Amino acid sequence: MPQPVANLEQIDEHLMEVVRALHGAVKQGVSHKDEPQIMDKAITDCKEILDEIMAGKVKEWLN
Amino acid sequence: MFTDKIELKDFDKMDPEYKDLLGHVLTIQADCEIGGPHLYVEKMLPAAPTKLDQLIVARTAAEEIDHYRKVARVAGDIGVDVSFVLSQPNEKRFVETFRGSITTWEDNSVFGFLIDRIGRYQLEEFYDCSYLPLQRILPDIVTEELGHIEYGYNKTLELIQSGDAGKAKAQRAVDFWYVRALDMFGRSGSIKSERYRYWGLKRRSNEQARQDYINEVGPILTQMGLTVPDPNKGRRYN
Repeated sequence: MPQPVANLEQIDEHLMEVVRALHGAVKQGVSHKDEPQIMDKAITDCKEILDEIMAGKVKEWLN
Repeated sequence: MFTDKIELKDFDKMDPEYKDLLGHVLTIQADCEIGGPHLYVEKMLPAAPTKLDQLIVARTAAEEIDHYRKVARVAGDIGVDVSFVLSQPNEKRFVETFRGSITTWEDNSVFGFLIDRIGRYQLEEFYDCSYLPLQRILPDIVTEELGHIEYGYNKTLELIQSGDAGKAKAQRAVDFWYVRALDMFGRSGSIKSERYRYWGLKRRSNEQARQDYINEVGPILTQMGLTVPDPNKGRRYN
């Protein structure tokens, strides 16, 4: 068997959490289409999560 | 032609060329998956026309991040570390289309309609491929890419139907992305592409996949009331 990459599990788990959190926030917003405040909160939550991923500081995710 | 099907446990026994090609194609695929959100999240998440569209931008990014994760997992299991693409600046992306940034809604819409369709084409290359762990992650990824394509199509159509100004914006965006889409298939007559096919890692030559795309997209653009750009104009690779 080949030797898997170090930190593969940790990065995989972190990204799985990120994806889960994003889907949760989107679902919360979409299911309250007539409540702008809830939608705004969902958008803010998505932005915070995505900003972290876009920054790409992988070492910080693993700490 | 190589016709066997390979599991992870068989990987060590494979020819070095096979290992190299598989690692290379997984690295590029991972880069393209994460390269999409890096193009549009910063400007489009705050600027999408409605709150619902903002949330759909976020959902699309979530799905692309998950695609990256799945591809990175397949690569990581064979010892290929693709995590560097998570922090790679856009200008260093493997595929030129992902260098830069999307700053207008029409570009974001057409990107989904035309470039996510290329994503679908690239993933379809791996259907029935020789490396089974790669084959297994495809169905869910392709289903989500189809959703991105449909959303991009619908938003482009909305723009066209909004009036002459909207239609002109859509046409300009199509003119910009269409040639980039065609270049994403790579050079015609590529020797590397032949080797991918020899090892059962891809199905079609670059030129065949590109022609299939042209044949599919042309009638859709015409039906939308847009002009199909000259497929040879402004191209980097023929």
